[in-house]
Amino acid sequence: MIQIALYGILLGGIYSLMASGLSLLYGVMNIVNLAHAAFMVLACYMAFVFYQNLGLDPTVSMAITIPVFFLLGLLVYWALLERVPRTRLYGSLTVLLTFGIALIVEGSITQVFTGIYHSTDPSYATGSIAVTSGIVLPEGQLYAFIVSIILLALLGAFLYLTRTGYAIRASMQNRTAAQLIGVNVRRMSMLACGIGFALAGAAGSLFSYLFTFYPGIHWQFIALLLSLIVVGGLGSLLGPVIAAVGLAVIAAYLAHWLNPVWSYLTFYIALFVTLLVRPQGIMGKDVRVSR
Amino acid sequence: MTAILELTSVHAGYGNDPDILKGVDLRVEEGGSCCIIGPNGAGKSTVLKTIAGILPLRSGEVLFKGRSLAKLRPDQRIRKGVCFVSQDQPLFGAMSVHENLTMAGYILNDRRETAKRIRHALDVFPVLAEKQKQRARTLSGGQQQVLALARAWIIKPDVLMVDEPSLGLSPQVRGSVFEILQTFKDSGMTVLIVEQNVNEGLAFADWGYVLDLGRNEFDGASKDILANPKIRELYLGKSVTSGADS
Repeated sequence: MIQIALYGILLGGIYSLMASGLSLLYGVMNIVNLAHAAFMVLACYMAFVFYQNLGLDPTVSMAITIPVFFLLGLLVYWALLERVPRTRLYGSLTVLLTFGIALIVEGSITQVFTGIYHSTDPSYATGSIAVTSGIVLPEGQLYAFIVSIILLALLGAFLYLTRTGYAIRASMQNRTAAQLIGVNVRRMSMLACGIGFALAGAAGSLFSYLFTFYPGIHWQFIALLLSLIVVGGLGSLLGPVIAAVGLAVIAAYLAHWLNPVWSYLTFYIALFVTLLVRPQGIMGKDVRVSR
Repeated sequence: MTAILELTSVHAGYGNDPDILKGVDLRVEEGGSCCIIGPNGAGKSTVLKTIAGILPLRSGEVLFKGRSLAKLRPDQRIRKGVCFVSQDQPLFGAMSVHENLTMAGYILNDRRETAKRIRHALDVFPVLAEKQKQRARTLSGGQQQVLALARAWIIKPDVLMVDEPSLGLSPQVRGSVFEILQTFKDSGMTVLIVEQNVNEGLAFADWGYVLDLGRNEFDGASKDILANPKIRELYLGKSVTSGADS
């Protein structure tokens, strides 16, 4: 029983890393980036290429994927997202735009790698560590969890302890008010986009040895990540972390007791219930219902 | 006296909607205080939003110290010295009082100077000193207004614009807010406010502007506006004599 909970916590930590970039981007720019998981899968393939051709460990290759995806985020912001007019249709337009980007990324990956399953297989990916006589943890997930926590802590330190971090948080809470105290919200949006993509890149490197992947797998994960940021609270950074760990533990138990299909179904049901009962999620801004 | 802020034939509005401001002229003297009054829909708040850069200038001219602000973003305008305390949610509600004050020092980019100014602000606005760790959204309406003004105190702009400083406040708290505005004025800052509460607004300011339907109707020394029976009848209603909000 404890092992199941620990398994859920490990997975929840990794999901938190995956969702953090999505949540940051929504918070600063009000964009639901449907291409977030597609870029994460792109990072999987990048880690895979480094692993296959250079023998580079996927965790180590994060040193390349993180800056590359940061720059990619800046490019996507400058070339596409910034050009969407901020009208009443902004939310819908950006959803459609990022949906299109996701399709292009998926199509491009398929063109190069075909649709077959891949994964990296460093030695620790399939290893296990005995914590006590009755509790054994999967080594790969444990390492991925530790890396995720370190990256989330760095993100938290950046956002809560630095001047730029304050400005990003201010932009997340109130874009106009942030401008009125001198924050260049365009620059903060661009930076948030870069950081969001960098987090997707980091998550992709870890993902590459935790799961087998194929180009279309991002749809499955974007649905899960969207449920996390809605349950956690749109625009909140801590909420999705709480949601990820909590739901991953519940999902682990349900999958164990009932059926493995609950590994994902739990998240979708939580999304459904949240929208009905508490649309602002655990820690999100108030949602005013218009009739 | 020289004008620190000058608007000439300003047209502005929201999105693709028709102009709200239809040729507004305004002049604020350096170190002076000015109050814009007028009925609902006159475009009073729109004037401040246009000066702050939240709304784009469609035509006309907005000059600050003789230079056009038209091409500057709101964050660039505050760096020039034009600070706007808006009526709608000017604070970061999920941040603490202290974090809100720290954010006011963002443009200073100097931790020591920011800390020094925060300490000074807490001396000037002692009500905030004991609530530094409290989230801004949990403060009362009056305390939130004080916090918004304390941030302006830290920024030390050349021109402070405040939209409806007394909105939704009790008479007692309203008095305190105007006392704070007087402190700004006494420090030599230029203050421009929009106020529904005509008596207190004009009592505070040296000069008043009356707007109606996006156009200038009258301007003059505040005491002259209050004394003008025609303006009182047309724009100020009974509020001047009764003391109630117009």
